[in-house]
Amino acid sequence: MINFEEELSHFKPSLEVEEVEDAIMDSDLTDMADIMMNLIREGSESKKKDE
Amino acid sequence: MSKPINYTDKCSRISNAFYNAGLEKAQIRDLTGACRCLKRSLEFDKYNTSARNLLGLIYYETGETAEALVQWVISSNLQQEHNRATHYIYEVQGEPGRLEDESVHIRRYNQALIQAQNDNPDLAILQLGRVVDHKPNYVKAHMLLALLYIGQENYTKAGKSLYKVLQIDKNNPKALWYMSIVKSNTGRADVEKRRLKNAFSHHQMQDDDIILPPSYRENTGWQMVLHIAAGLAMGAAVIFFLVMPAREEQLNDSHNQEMAQVLEQVNQKSMEIDGIEASMAVMESERDTAEADLKAIMDENGGVLSQYQQLAHILQAYRADDFPTAVELYTELNPELIEDEGMQMIITEIRQDMEERGYQVLADLAGQARDAGNTDQALMYYQKSLDIKEDNPQVIYDMAMVYHDREEEDKANELFGQVIMNYPDTDLAEKAKEIRGY
Repeated sequence: MINFEEELSHFKPSLEVEEVEDAIMDSDLTDMADIMMNLIREGSESKKKDE
Repeated sequence: MSKPINYTDKCSRISNAFYNAGLEKAQIRDLTGACRCLKRSLEFDKYNTSARNLLGLIYYETGETAEALVQWVISSNLQQEHNRATHYIYEVQGEPGRLEDESVHIRRYNQALIQAQNDNPDLAILQLGRVVDHKPNYVKAHMLLALLYIGQENYTKAGKSLYKVLQIDKNNPKALWYMSIVKSNTGRADVEKRRLKNAFSHHQMQDDDIILPPSYRENTGWQMVLHIAAGLAMGAAVIFFLVMPAREEQLNDSHNQEMAQVLEQVNQKSMEIDGIEASMAVMESERDTAEADLKAIMDENGGVLSQYQQLAHILQAYRADDFPTAVELYTELNPELIEDEGMQMIITEIRQDMEERGYQVLADLAGQARDAGNTDQALMYYQKSLDIKEDNPQVIYDMAMVYHDREEEDKANELFGQVIMNYPDTDLAEKAKEIRGY
């Protein structure tokens, strides 16, 4: 059976049209390729330090 | 340096795989599943424009216009040429007022959510009803509305909202869950369960099994009565709605035709009556003219016929040698009405005789009447004498004396004045002056 109050709390407000610009600015566009590149870069940098 | 390239390539491949899965799900309207796949696709490759554009389309389809714009704007920034997102943005923003309307409905949904979360479900339902009327694909609004109806145990209305959600997003897990609750509360779940059981059950036919046609129903007594009553009601309705209007129209048509014929006859009769009245008026006018002519002829005093009679009487008086009577009759004659030339000659002779001696006869008659004390008759004879001969101072004087005796001084003085003025050197003038007191 539905817990009405709990279900209601799961509903989130919709993004309003006026907030589109802020939403774009706040978008996290980091993808898996970026993460991998960072990991590789950090790995190579630490290797150089160790050497 | 070959490793990073491999990883990027692998990420791109995984992203494409998720995009393909998302596309398949979108094509069968599993929008929630498609959305999940496309988000995952973008997590692996943010430059996967197709995935981002499709995600925007799915947001737009579910009523999340702002979210769709976010994805399309990012997409068009990451790939500025040959990008379908530019067209989508133009479509949404190009039509005047469309974006404003979208904004109003989204804001209204947010207000309704706040009202619902603050124990004001009635107002929230009202707001959401208006939102879904204008924006029927707004999944979130339908879902919240369904939840509020379920909270009020109005499962039928909740079911309607959920049905619309599932038409847009077939595998929306929350909508499916709410729908299952709605069905269990409305008894719909049992019906579907039985139907499924019947559809997929396998039963070995026995020799004595009877297959009843699906249309066959065994009726009980009261059902039969009900069916007969329904049939009668339908028959009555058919007569009332189909037969009666046609019959009524037919009667109206025949009645209208009869009325038109009667009106035409009335018009003809009216025209005939008008013609008769006009001819009657002409005939009455002619009759009046004829009567007037006849009256003019028959008139005792001035009529033509009476003048002829008067002339005959005068001639008869002459023949009887009764000149005074002839004179009296002549004074009442109007010679102008007698147009006959032969008669005119006789009248001329009579007029000459009257001017020579007739006036004196009248003056004598007037004197006799005055002496007898009949002044009215005396004045009448004097006036007739003057009508025949105006230039007669004696008669004027005598007439003035009659007025003087009757103490009608104004008329007497006027006549005395005529004698004094017109005949100054006569004795009568002197006498008149004396009487007037000159």
